[in-house]
Amino acid sequence: MSGNLSVQYALRSLGRSRRRTSLSVLGVGLGCAIALFATAFMRGGQHMRVQAISQSGYGHLRIAPAGWEQSRRDDLRLQNSAAALKAARSLEGVFAVAAHVRVQGLLAFGTRVAGVQLLGVDPAAEPRLNRLVRTIAEGRYLQAGDEGAVVVGKALVERLDVELGDDLLLTLTRADGQIEYAMLRIVGIVSTGSRTIDETICHAMLADVANMTGLKGVAEVSVAFEDPQQVAALSAELAQRVQGDQVLTWREVLPAMSGDAAADRAFSNFFIFIVAVVVILGVTSAQLTAMLERRREFAVLIALGLGELKLVGLVLFEAVFMGVLGALLGLLLALPLVWHTATAGIDFSAMMGDDMTVMGVFFDPIIYADLGLWMLPYAFGLGLCATLLAALYPAWSATRLDAAAALSQRDA
Amino acid sequence: MDKVLVAAQGVRKTFRAGNIAVEALRGVDLEVGNGEFMAIVGPSGSGKTTLLNLIGALDVPTGGRIVIFGRDLGPLSRSERAELRLRSLGFVFQAYNLVPVLTARENVEFVLELQGMDPKNRRVRAEQTLAELGLNELAHRRPSQMSGGQQQRVAVARAVASRPGLVLADEPTANLDSDNAQALLRMMRRLRDEMGMTFVFSTHDPLVISYASRVVTLRDGEVQSDERKDTCG
Repeated sequence: MSGNLSVQYALRSLGRSRRRTSLSVLGVGLGCAIALFATAFMRGGQHMRVQAISQSGYGHLRIAPAGWEQSRRDDLRLQNSAAALKAARSLEGVFAVAAHVRVQGLLAFGTRVAGVQLLGVDPAAEPRLNRLVRTIAEGRYLQAGDEGAVVVGKALVERLDVELGDDLLLTLTRADGQIEYAMLRIVGIVSTGSRTIDETICHAMLADVANMTGLKGVAEVSVAFEDPQQVAALSAELAQRVQGDQVLTWREVLPAMSGDAAADRAFSNFFIFIVAVVVILGVTSAQLTAMLERRREFAVLIALGLGELKLVGLVLFEAVFMGVLGALLGLLLALPLVWHTATAGIDFSAMMGDDMTVMGVFFDPIIYADLGLWMLPYAFGLGLCATLLAALYPAWSATRLDAAAALSQRDA
Repeated sequence: MDKVLVAAQGVRKTFRAGNIAVEALRGVDLEVGNGEFMAIVGPSGSGKTTLLNLIGALDVPTGGRIVIFGRDLGPLSRSERAELRLRSLGFVFQAYNLVPVLTARENVEFVLELQGMDPKNRRVRAEQTLAELGLNELAHRRPSQMSGGQQQRVAVARAVASRPGLVLADEPTANLDSDNAQALLRMMRRLRDEMGMTFVFSTHDPLVISYASRVVTLRDGEVQSDERKDTCG
């Protein structure tokens, strides 16, 4: 299509049947609005999921010993813990870095016992990474020099029927297969609000766990970033700096959670796909009708020398214009709704009950939509794709027009 | 005859509707020379419009050969035929067929834009063409604001604005009263005289026939007679 007369022709052609054009634009706009809201909600949910995972002590990335991803063994240690920590801390945009070791054990008090995963932590780093330990109900969190101390969850305290200051007997198996016993004094009780999580929290000093297991070094370094969007790039950068160990994303550390996220995204995308298909079919129908109504006019233009490509260009340009209008309408319709959901959120606590815990990750019951500039290219991209796809068949039909037949009113 | 613009040799055209085949043209031989003002006449169904469509590269013959401006239409692709129409042919239709959403000037300009002419030159050319045909006052009117005669004159302006060598007009006066028809024919003959354009009409209007310098009569898809006139209109 050349010059602006063709553009004027296309635009005025849209104005010929204002009702049809308006309905098509409304259809595209509604489709865009629904897709925008669904995507904003899905993105918000995904963002919150990633943050919840990260802030539950997992971080966005984990430096783990080579082979850990396959074996998931707690007795593996990083080849060079100090180098791994240094590499993680030197990354730009790092929010928190915390070293961990884990060991399965049995806590006992009197005749009561509870199986736990004891987490060895650096008390200076852990609270920044793990929001769960910031919810101290009694006592305090671990501090430097807290050898022989433990912080436990409230549900565990209730189960063992202990209180702050009590000494718990920890039994575990050392790396060499020997049984090891240790007494740990409760210095803090965590109450996250989730009984499931409060039953699992059992933190001790890194050095204590190392002594008890007989394994020196660190089993993992969890890294959280200020901007989760940077994870992919920073993961690659970190992997280059870490020799002999592996860098895993939260998706690799928690594959089941990643599967859940993928399933949510797939469902959301499928929903948007269905909406898009309905919109495309509706606009195709309207465009095809418009094309058939203008069959004779197109035949005249073809007779005058309008080439197939230019004819396709004219039809597609009309679609582009409708797509732009539809996208603008979609934004207008969706923005207030997304804004409301981004600021007030949707509270799922009634639906999900009191315990918003999945796989040791504590989720907020209120999900906030993701309101952002991404909505602009998304709306225009969706609107244009939908209308262009919808116009392809009518445009193709126009090029197949038998001009001679159309001009003499014979059936083509 | 001057230089031959159109040469049709043994042209046949058969239309099929299901199992029924209708032979619209049954071996037409015809040559059109430069500067002719030719009328193709004959009763309805004689093949006039079909022949015009074939000469205009809008349709392809079932058999035979058509050469226009030295180019055999047979091997040409759809896009090559479209290019030929754009560069060398002008069309005038019975039902005017102006683009309803464009003004008279824009209708004329549209073809020039398709030819790739720059906006300034095409506007000048469109206004000049309308002025030459005495249609200045219609320049900003849309087809719905013009009479049938005015629309048909604008359609002629559109057909000749790019100065094509050959203008094909299918029943151009069929929807016009005799005054408008006379005005249109005078205008077209002036274009032939002043610009050397060649006009081929399909018609059964006696007025058009009276203006024609050559009358080819078709009957049942064949050329029944080919008469050249010394004086006309």
